Amino acid sequence: MATALAAPPSFGAAAYHEFYRDDFEPRAHYRPLWEHIRKAGQALLSDKVREAHLTLHTEGVTFTVYANSDEGIERVWPFDLLPRIITASEWAPIEAGLAQRVRALNRFLEDVYGEQRILRDGVVPAELVYGGRDYRREIRGIRPPLGIYIHISGIDVVRGADGGYLVLEDNLRTPSGVSYMIENRIVERRTLPEFFARYRVRRVEHYPALLLQALRELSPRGGQDAVVVLLTPGVYNSAYFEHTFLAHEMGIELAEGRDLVVQNDVVYLKTTHGLQRVDVLYRRIDDDYLDPLCFRPDSTLGVAGIINAWRAGNVAIVNAPGTGIADDKAVYPYVPDIIRYYLGEAPVLRNVPTWRMTVSDERERVLGDLENVVVKAVSESGGYGILIGPQSTAAQRAEFAAQVRANPRNYIAQPVIPLSRHLCYLDGELESRHIDLRPFVIQGREIHVVPGGLTRVALTKGSLVVNSSQGGGSKDTWVLSDAALADR
Amino acid sequence: MLLSRIAESLYWMSRYLERVDSTARLVEINLLHLLEAESAIGEAAEWRPLLAICGKEALYTGTFGSAEITGPRVIQFLMGERSNPGSVRNSMRLARENARAVRDRISREMWECVNELWLRYQELLARPPIPERAVAHCRTLRSEVARFHGHTSSTMMRGEAFGFYLLGMFLERADMTARIMDVKYHLLLPDLALVGSPLDYYQWAALLRSLSGYEAFRRRFPSLRPLDVADFVVLDGDFPRSLRFAVDRMAQALARVGSARADSPSARAVSELSELLAKSDGSALFEAGLHEFLQRFLAGISDLHGALQREYFEAHLGDAACTT
Repeated sequence: MATALAAPPSFGAAAYHEFYRDDFEPRAHYRPLWEHIRKAGQALLSDKVREAHLTLHTEGVTFTVYANSDEGIERVWPFDLLPRIITASEWAPIEAGLAQRVRALNRFLEDVYGEQRILRDGVVPAELVYGGRDYRREIRGIRPPLGIYIHISGIDVVRGADGGYLVLEDNLRTPSGVSYMIENRIVERRTLPEFFARYRVRRVEHYPALLLQALRELSPRGGQDAVVVLLTPGVYNSAYFEHTFLAHEMGIELAEGRDLVVQNDVVYLKTTHGLQRVDVLYRRIDDDYLDPLCFRPDSTLGVAGIINAWRAGNVAIVNAPGTGIADDKAVYPYVPDIIRYYLGEAPVLRNVPTWRMTVSDERERVLGDLENVVVKAVSESGGYGILIGPQSTAAQRAEFAAQVRANPRNYIAQPVIPLSRHLCYLDGELESRHIDLRPFVIQGREIHVVPGGLTRVALTKGSLVVNSSQGGGSKDTWVLSDAALADR
Repeated sequence: MLLSRIAESLYWMSRYLERVDSTARLVEINLLHLLEAESAIGEAAEWRPLLAICGKEALYTGTFGSAEITGPRVIQFLMGERSNPGSVRNSMRLARENARAVRDRISREMWECVNELWLRYQELLARPPIPERAVAHCRTLRSEVARFHGHTSSTMMRGEAFGFYLLGMFLERADMTARIMDVKYHLLLPDLALVGSPLDYYQWAALLRSLSGYEAFRRRFPSLRPLDVADFVVLDGDFPRSLRFAVDRMAQALARVGSARADSPSARAVSELSELLAKSDGSALFEAGLHEFLQRFLAGISDLHGALQREYFEAHLGDAACTT
């Protein structure tokens, strides 16, 4: 996986533009949209923007930014009017590649918590797995219902300078954003009904129905009477809006740890009519906090004894405990090999080239060139614990270099990927901004890749950081069912 | 299916809001009454009954020591005092905390009402009160609470959760009405021999006004006889702040909630309250002693609260706990 360091990228010019061709003509699949915008004029667009924001505000589509105060700050979801359009032919390899990736990573988890063939065969170094903060040795030997570990994933996909799609991160723990994908669609359809008439856009709002079906399939007592519960850390969590949204959409109970109790290895809800047995737990809290008897003893968010109930086969936990080792950023460089190992197939989607800090010559070359690379802590997410070389100060680089040397297992480095750009309608002007894509994959008896996803936008000019917690925005994402609108 | 935690929070949310309303009403009516009074009975005597009604005489002494009972002090104590857990300000805060915990179960309008109530008035209530302005503040607070109930009535599903909202409101209301009657009656009618005679018109009118019942009473009874006031406030099934009205509504709310047990302790506690009322009419209340009657009623209310606690909020601890 050793890759030569790329020349310092100049963003903007090097980045692929989703909307314009190199000759500044709109790409074929954006032309109907473009013509409509030209005819509509700026006044109409601005009206539409106001309408969309009002809708989001009154519907209370918000997210919480962690601040120093106890309560956090609630912000209205930032939404850009212009949709991101993906043609049917562009989508096909994304869909195939994501399904392949989820299938292979699920096999990887079955293996590292089972026979550990891949470690014995030396395809993935054993010490890398054992040394991972999110490898849970406590659960080795437990087989989850249907053998599924990864029920829900939100895998981040970016478009490199050549327009090719790359997987940037596998999010296999409790990825969020799916409620915003759906809200974006609802707002977009209400705001731009005339655009929808011109395109045949594949639907995404059935996600909660797909998810509920996948969750019910896991019930140890059969799907018909399954009691499915969403476990939330509570109102102060940044994704609490999403937790309430999904619980409402699926018609399931939204519970906190203190609403649940385990007796004789069975999980119960405390209701006004006594204890009610729980079959499937869709948890939105991390492994660390899930069971104070098994993981962090100081956790007040989880449920004591729940891992034993899971081990006894009395409850399904979604995603299964222990999935964090498969999206560990230090394991990420090995995913193409993992796909080849278990499936005997070539990976459909490429990885971003990644330097392993545990390999000394890769590490030394990165540390000598920090200004031109991105360094990431392996177990952080949400845009935290990251150094973007070209935008960093000498002091930040020195701090990261010291941390990398002190704990190489904890870091990886990648070239700066000039994320593709898209048109945004910001303060009455059309501007180009960098974007990424988080499609959502549900694995039940079958794998469903929801056609679309959350397109995140770095709203600050030139910025490559798209996380909503760091001032990112979003776009509705249209996957076209019509093959007629060819790209390029 | 309703989580115990959610049920308990709904119940306390509406109990605390009812407490905001009734405490503000007590202070408001007392101030108005004092403005109208022709002869003064002394400041301490004017304000001590409010402390007695709220059951806070000891706490008041603990807060202010042996300092005299004055209007501004009592108003401060009942409205804004941080050390008084039953103050309007603390009740608002606790109503909001409980509402936040059930935010996904109540409508946006309900949440916004409770939230605004706290955000708008918490600072005002923390400052020392200006008695001249207190009447206006009390009135605003009451209308805010009424707005909440209006939104609830028009936006909340009539399910089990609604039942707990009603139980909290009417239990608190019955409790307060019984306390007001107990304290005021004792003060206004020192000698039971006077039961049938017309007494100080303004005093009795003030009592009825503190229950928003003055106009309704006047339509129903020709004169202000103590006997009729007791009959109206305790037994009139149409008067929304009467004990009978509250008990009837709690019985209906419990039927909506349902029970996992054949012998529901909550249902039993409510029917005991109903029986207590059924055995009484206006004159019977006085023969047995109104004070004794009200004490029995208040004990029944306390039993009902305990039964709700055991049967619903801590259902998982009970014997009939495991329904799988």
